[in-house]
Amino acid sequence: MEKTLECFKRILGKSKKENIDILIRGIFGISALISASVIIIIIIFITIKGVTPFISYNQGLGQVNIFRFLTGRVWLDGAAFSSSLYGVGFIIINTVYIALLSLMISMPIGVLTALFIAKVAPQRLSIFLRTVVELLSAIPSIVYGLFGSGVILVLVYNFAELVGIQSKGGNSVIATVLVLSLMSLPTITAISEVAIRSVGKDIELGSLALGATKTQTNFKVVLASAKSGIFASAILGVGRALGEATAVSLVAGNSKSGPSLGLFDITSTLTSTMLEGLKETTGLDYDIRFSVGIVLMIVILLTNIILNYVKRKVGSVSVK
Amino acid sequence: MDNIFSIKDLDLYYGNFQALKSISLDIDRNKVTALIGPSGCGKSTFLRCLNRMNDLIENCKIEGKIQYSQMDIQTKSFNVIELRTKVGMVFQKPNPFPMSIYDNVAYGPRCSGIKKKSELDVIVEKALKRAALYEEVSSRLKDNALGLSGGQQQRLCIARAIAMEPDVILMDEPTSALDPIATLKIEELINDLKRNYTIVIVTHNMQQAARISDKTAFFLMGELIEIDSTDKIFTQPKNKKTEDYITGRFG
Ligand SMILES: Nc1ncnc2c1ncn2[C@@H]1O[C@H](COP(=O)(O)OP(=O)(O)OP(=O)(O)O)[C@@H](O)[C@H]1O
Ligand SMILES: [Mg+2]
Repeated sequence: MEKTLECFKRILGKSKKENIDILIRGIFGISALISASVIIIIIIFITIKGVTPFISYNQGLGQVNIFRFLTGRVWLDGAAFSSSLYGVGFIIINTVYIALLSLMISMPIGVLTALFIAKVAPQRLSIFLRTVVELLSAIPSIVYGLFGSGVILVLVYNFAELVGIQSKGGNSVIATVLVLSLMSLPTITAISEVAIRSVGKDIELGSLALGATKTQTNFKVVLASAKSGIFASAILGVGRALGEATAVSLVAGNSKSGPSLGLFDITSTLTSTMLEGLKETTGLDYDIRFSVGIVLMIVILLTNIILNYVKRKVGSVSVK
Repeated sequence: MDNIFSIKDLDLYYGNFQALKSISLDIDRNKVTALIGPSGCGKSTFLRCLNRMNDLIENCKIEGKIQYSQMDIQTKSFNVIELRTKVGMVFQKPNPFPMSIYDNVAYGPRCSGIKKKSELDVIVEKALKRAALYEEVSSRLKDNALGLSGGQQQRLCIARAIAMEPDVILMDEPTSALDPIATLKIEELINDLKRNYTIVIVTHNMQQAARISDKTAFFLMGELIEIDSTDKIFTQPKNKKTEDYITGRFG
């Protein structure tokens, strides 16, 4: 009798635990479902809106030719509301070009700063700098945009004048690149710093015990060991550069044709194009921005796939 | 008999804590010296004095005299970098760099300025052969060193130290993270190496000390209790504490 009771209790206890388990799993499941469905709804919405220009007659303007759209070197051939000859080929090139240039500035500076904070600076200074970096990464992008249009544009304009180049009030590729570099710098620094700091002390000691200097150790062993985390910071940096709209549209100059490869040319990116005049337009000129959105998502996806592939390669192969 | 190291009245403090108390001893050239003693008695601390790795520990203060080849290494002006190329170190846990096997061995020479590929090739091959690792890895020198087994990694770390052509190799419990077979390989290697190098090895394994060392030093609570030929220490120690320790009565 007592034995059965004991047994019964155990089953009851167990099933109660199991019930809680099921409940919690249910809550997790539902949360996952909610966030997944929000993403799916957004994608469906943008896809439907973005595909419309290519399959409908756009109130008499005619279908947008997808090949022309993807390779075009002019945003709109003809006047708005009377033409369907849109093109974003040059904007895709602008976007990738700008993202790469800003990475070329922000990566070296960010990684060196991270190395300084993690390994070189005295403890107090490094705590101070770490706080500064954290604050910087919390600043909203519009502030960087305002700083860009108030300070960087003036600097670029003056510099261009000095070297005898006409610039449209400083709006240019270089101004955009500088603003984006500044914006992605804190992210890159913070993530690289964590990666550098988590490199094992034993590896560092191993290098020093071989008669390597601190500098040699930092550059040849510590950075090499942190390369996977540093690469992750680059991926996030590129993401920020590709996805930023507000700050970019304040300093890019919003060119309507291109691509703009000269540093002092005005330019435009996929995001700034989507944003520009969004509130004042309707019909095809409105819908086409969703098509640009699809292109942007694909560009980001492809960049991430490529960078992750490279990261895996770099992570497993020896570095010199 | 010539001494490669000669230590006189060495005191070492971590902050207020005195970890080494008035240590005086000589280390013979081209011999294996084993340091034994219970955990926390200061063996690793002493070992780190010999290539000044204690410099890297904050608030570590050293008093006394450490001579390496008749040179005073504690003086400020002494070139630590050069000392460490002459006095190599192998750590308890294998710590290969996350790069290829070749680059691991070539690392030290590269840092000291050797750039020529042909020269490095010779150094790497020679070091790997001396560390009895060459045959196992010759076909995959470009592979990442982290893919090696623990025992191979430790021999790689020894090869890495050998590549610098040091006089002395310091080893801090180099086999404590390894299985018996890998341990045996390292012990054989140490027996080979002692013809060309002076080896100072910390070990918790009495049999190991007896098997591979010529001299044994027994430390206890920061003091050097006794140093003598290994035979003497293990058969007729002078000090009662040494006898207690090696017969396993404490520690
Ligand atoms: N960086 C340090 N800061 C402060 N105290 C330390 C430091 N390193 C070691 N000590 C102390 O110095 C003493 C000797 O330590 P050491 O590591 O030399 O011992 P050990 O003989 O190597 O021990 P084990 O056999 O466990 O490795 C210990 O009491 C230890 O707590
Ligand atoms: Mg120790």
